[in-house]
Amino acid sequence: MTDGGAGSARERLAARQAELLTALVAGGPPPEGFDPVRLRVQRDSLIAKRRGLVARAAPLLVHALDGEFVPLFAGYADGRPKPAGGSAADARAFTAWLEAAGRLPERAPAPAEEARPRWWKRRLRRGRVG
Amino acid sequence: MSSIPRLGVGIGWRPEIDLTVERMAGVDFVEVVAEQLAPRHGLPESLRILRERGMPVIPHGVGLSLGGAEPPRPERLEHLAACAELVDAPLVSEHVAFVRAGDLDAGHLMPVPRTWEALEVVAENVARAQAALPVPLALENVSALLEWPGDELTEERFLAELVARTGVLLLVDVANVYNNQVNFGLSPEAFLDGLPLESLAYVHVAGGYAKDGVWHDTHTRAVPAQVHGVLAELCARVDPPGVLLEWDGDYPSDAALAAELGRIRETTGRARVG
Repeated sequence: MTDGGAGSARERLAARQAELLTALVAGGPPPEGFDPVRLRVQRDSLIAKRRGLVARAAPLLVHALDGEFVPLFAGYADGRPKPAGGSAADARAFTAWLEAAGRLPERAPAPAEEARPRWWKRRLRRGRVG
Repeated sequence: MSSIPRLGVGIGWRPEIDLTVERMAGVDFVEVVAEQLAPRHGLPESLRILRERGMPVIPHGVGLSLGGAEPPRPERLEHLAACAELVDAPLVSEHVAFVRAGDLDAGHLMPVPRTWEALEVVAENVARAQAALPVPLALENVSALLEWPGDELTEERFLAELVARTGVLLLVDVANVYNNQVNFGLSPEAFLDGLPLESLAYVHVAGGYAKDGVWHDTHTRAVPAQVHGVLAELCARVDPPGVLLEWDGDYPSDAALAAELGRIRETTGRARVG
């Protein structure tokens, strides 16, 4: 493969993939040729995937939101792409969105209070026991 | 491919079920999501214990975006390579998928448009990854909810071309094969017949659910009979070196997970390795 050929192939692939992702996670128009029903199913599925990872990154926040987590997260994530920095950053952005919308519960934890990964705690615990 | 190791029956190691996996009988190997490891900090306790028992651990990447338009990022390749060194892995695995485009992060594995032009890009990405990794790479077929317009190759042809061009190994997810049967009316038999199964490294098995006629590959339910059916079809064509159960949330009891491994063993009809 020549660099020039691969370069233009990469550019065309980049354009197609960016157009699809813009439609799915950034509120862009549906790209031509896709089944509009499946585009909605895919968009909702990506939000559900994000929601699950945010729930794992910020379990205390989810608990404080009680049963409102799912609809509130849908309101936050619809048309708003996942920020750089992974699910912890997504959880922080969701918290900021809740605060701006006046929906952050009073008993919501500060992000730093969220649990650290369990294996890490276990490692420390075993270290102390020796 | 000269040396595909015998792996047996395994389960995806997850932090939430670390003790379960550590204590479960009948686990021959595990997979760990590479993005959950931090090689600088060493191994999670439970994985260290499993490694001390000699259990093979396979780092499974979800973020390389080998099906993306950009070459895989060097820091992500370095991370996967470091994970392989950390667990002394026999191989590592990733997906034929893209997870980001420019600044946009899909947050999950998206199917690649299957054109000859895209194949060239993906094959070059795979070759770059192989050059950066200390062990063989296996690539997995993904589950899809939508199809790209204008595809020129079937999925099995696309995978076969990647194997032919790069020598990459295959990780066949039979739940994803069933997923694509439900969602696109594709034939599992035709898919399996079109793959170079002599390059099969191992197999994924998982459960999901159907909603409004669409299969969702969630890894949160028991493995349905239809997925066992695809596994049986695969085993009629090749003796898979390994078969691994994926479960990612809504974890059932330890006994239920052990029963799932037992059913996999029944379907593959094999005695335990080791």
